Amino acid sequence: MMSHVLQKKDFWAGVLYIAFGVAAFWIGRDYPMGMAGRMGAGYFPTILSVTLMLIGLLSAARAFAQEGEAVGAIAWKPLALVVGSTALFGLLLSTAGLVVALIALVLVSAAASQHFRFEPKAAAGLILLVVFCTLVFVKALGVPMPLVGSWFGE
Amino acid sequence: MRALKLLSAAALGIAISAPTFAAGYPEKPVTVVVPFPAGGASDTTARVTTQKMQESLGQPIVVENKPGANGSLGAGQVAKAKADGYTLIVGSIGVYAINPVLYKSLPYDPTKDFDLLTVAVRTPNVLVANPNFPANNVKEFVEHLKKNPEKVTFASSGAGSSDHLTAALFWQKTGTTGVHVPYKGGAPAITDLIGGHADVSFQNLGAVSNHIKAGKLKLLAVTAEKRNPAFPDAPTMKEAGVEGVEVYSWQAVAAPKGLPADVKSKLEQSLAGALNSPDVKGKFNDIGFEVVANTSGQFSEFLNQEISRWKTVVETGKITADQ
Amino acid sequence: METLSNLWLGLETALTFWNLAYCMVGVLLGTAIGVLPGLGPTATIAMLLPVTFGLPPVSALIMLAGIYYGAQYGGSTTAILVNLPGESSSVVTALDGYQMARQGKAGKALATAAIGSFFAGTVATVLLAVFAPPLADLALQFGPAEYFSLMVLGLVASVVLAHGSLLHAFGMIILGLMLGLIGTDVNSGTTRYTFGFPEIADGINFVVVAMGVFGLGEIIGNLANETTRTVMAKTVKGLMPTREDLKQMAAPVLRGTVLGSMLGILPGGGAMLASFAAYTLEKKVSRHPERFGKGAIEGVAGPESANNAGAQTSFIPMLTLGIPSNPVMALMIGAMIMQGIQPGPSVMTEQPVLFWGLIVSMWIGNLFLLVLNLPLIGLWVRMISVPYHFLYPAILVFCAIGVFSLNNATFDVYLMAMFGFLGYIFRKLDCEPAPMLLGFILGPMMEEHLRRAMLISKGDATVFMSRPISATMLVLALILLASVLAPTVRRKREEAFQEEA
Repeated sequence: MMSHVLQKKDFWAGVLYIAFGVAAFWIGRDYPMGMAGRMGAGYFPTILSVTLMLIGLLSAARAFAQEGEAVGAIAWKPLALVVGSTALFGLLLSTAGLVVALIALVLVSAAASQHFRFEPKAAAGLILLVVFCTLVFVKALGVPMPLVGSWFGE
Repeated sequence: MRALKLLSAAALGIAISAPTFAAGYPEKPVTVVVPFPAGGASDTTARVTTQKMQESLGQPIVVENKPGANGSLGAGQVAKAKADGYTLIVGSIGVYAINPVLYKSLPYDPTKDFDLLTVAVRTPNVLVANPNFPANNVKEFVEHLKKNPEKVTFASSGAGSSDHLTAALFWQKTGTTGVHVPYKGGAPAITDLIGGHADVSFQNLGAVSNHIKAGKLKLLAVTAEKRNPAFPDAPTMKEAGVEGVEVYSWQAVAAPKGLPADVKSKLEQSLAGALNSPDVKGKFNDIGFEVVANTSGQFSEFLNQEISRWKTVVETGKITADQ
Repeated sequence: METLSNLWLGLETALTFWNLAYCMVGVLLGTAIGVLPGLGPTATIAMLLPVTFGLPPVSALIMLAGIYYGAQYGGSTTAILVNLPGESSSVVTALDGYQMARQGKAGKALATAAIGSFFAGTVATVLLAVFAPPLADLALQFGPAEYFSLMVLGLVASVVLAHGSLLHAFGMIILGLMLGLIGTDVNSGTTRYTFGFPEIADGINFVVVAMGVFGLGEIIGNLANETTRTVMAKTVKGLMPTREDLKQMAAPVLRGTVLGSMLGILPGGGAMLASFAAYTLEKKVSRHPERFGKGAIEGVAGPESANNAGAQTSFIPMLTLGIPSNPVMALMIGAMIMQGIQPGPSVMTEQPVLFWGLIVSMWIGNLFLLVLNLPLIGLWVRMISVPYHFLYPAILVFCAIGVFSLNNATFDVYLMAMFGFLGYIFRKLDCEPAPMLLGFILGPMMEEHLRRAMLISKGDATVFMSRPISATMLVLALILLASVLAPTVRRKREEAFQEEA
């Protein structure tokens, strides 16, 4: 029974709620509380974080009392590649420019799929996407993104 | 789908194209940072002015909105930008004069980090009330406030906004008190004022003039030096017996400190030319803005006066906007 | 009779060649930017504003309005096809619309949205024409107390959005409320939970959270299950709704239209609630609430109609009082002022051509949307039949650029990546993101209105019960809460009985 609890979704969801609740309570401990008539900046956050902690406790308790589904394996590879490629895009956009950032985003994220092969069709799609984004977002809509970034001179 | 793309590209292309004829600065498009969302007063000022400036500078001018933290996010970025004349800022009284006295840690210092170019436009604030509010003029209003301390609700467009500080200044000059009720921007404050949920407010004239004309709001006084031609019956604060409550909301243009002299003079000329052109003036007048277009020296002197005045108001009223 | 002659005047105005053309351009542009996730009508309209100075006022406003409701419509397309809600209203559409798409019924879902929107748009236009001034006065009755109670009702209703555990629905709502606290507190100017980043001093943008937890979270989840199942059904089951479907969606469309029209009038965030309220209502009146969240056609029809009706009626306070109910309306007011028209009650009497021309053009624009989008459905459906490993990198690209364009800041892109991570974790733990997003939207407004109401009443909490509109809504919220909790309680008791037996 006990070994199962640590695998249950309810248990970890509870842990997540408690973690958020405690963090919010701790960070917000200095915000002025005020009174009901003139509530301070800390009034709402305190109520919310305490409520969330309680819900977290209930959820975790439920994991002990009831049967529940197991969390299962975390898909680390797609998680890391999708999140990482998005962050990489942000990093490269101002330094290397839109073209490089787009290529990096597409290739890194695509590596998360087991079906992806870098074949002519994929390359053509990538070029098409870069041209589309340049024309629509930069040229037509005027989103201020440098096509070529500061790494390659001005 | 392709036709769709072409159409959208064509429609938007109009906004970006501009004639090109110039030697030296500027050799490439100029970016004007507006540290507020699109559609606000700073944004409108920037877009109307730069549209005209493109003609004399011969390069496109791109308005870039960098909103955040009462304008200090965008202003901080401009303060750190290269002083080559390709990055400018159009900001409000809040960015230049109020943030510095309100916030302890600011990513820029308006008096040290910027080459001040010109105050572009200004608009007076007006004291407006819900039509059912008992007082009909400033004298009755002050008496009402004295009889009902901490009772009358003053709507403002935000904690630390220019209308909040105007209310604080008014309380200090008249020895009265009230309840400050901040909103998220001017529009919801005006809505609640019309609905009678809040009592009075200091608002930009342009934002409320139509409601006054329609009888949805009652105009008590103008915080200008002179009466406004659109409302000749409304007295100035001074005429109504309250000294020292002349407040304007203003929008000004600046660049990062250390512009080359020739670039600075070219920008100043272009700005003055654009602001004083009849069509730009007309557009600003239509929205209740008055073109100022002063010199950088006048701007700098004016800014020092504004900062010291608001510093006093903030310190006297013990107003805080951050921890 | 007067209404008829007014409508005739509007028809004459809206049907001139150039006004039809501007309406068409606006609607097309709006749909295009709506389909692209992250790009909203606000930025587009702001950019186009200087261009419209040269146009006659009626044409300018017709085009800008077209962009607005066109974008609303385009946003639902993306929500249905790839589970990317670009606006708060399409979060709800994504719930069942995307499930329909996965079952090969994307065409049907899109057609339902188009037909529902058109019907709602038509009714709302009539409403606008006949009842605009009295409705606007009603909207002014809503003060901070009323708005707070409305938000409470909205929050209780959001519990119904979840189809799983009730406890997790509450947990996610609270989490959403807390995420909404991030940024500057309107009432005191204090910055909360910003960790010293000025980029989030104005709060986190809704689109960043939605793109992260829905868009990225969905992609990671799909990739994790890549081997065991295909993302989209291979067979497409009918592009157009059948007679049976039409019958099924008629009542939801009607209810959605009524709800949306009413909520759209409220300038303090009413239109935002329209689609949520419609979804809740449909799930509550349905005889098979368990189908919701698994591709129920009512779950698309109701909210989409409500959303479009709300978008139309949110013009009422703008046109009759000069009060903007959202940033887009604020820009429209700006456009009117630039054209030398003072928005306010006088517009209707002094500028009848503009007022009625705009109203009639909205109906024509809705017709354009229908005619334009029904044939496009085939194209959209073909687009999502592209192999997923080609599709998802492209979705990521549009998310990233869209999110960047919100504030022209890479910081938002990093934030979206972080919410993508969280989104996947939530998904693994069966914590549904939809109630969290509603909490995120409502939280700041609820706190703001609560504190303002208390400030104005000098700390007297009875205002919420002594004002009739506010009291009605609180009672409704209580009834709804009871009806949500009752089945669970009953089930528990039945379980207990069974154990005893």
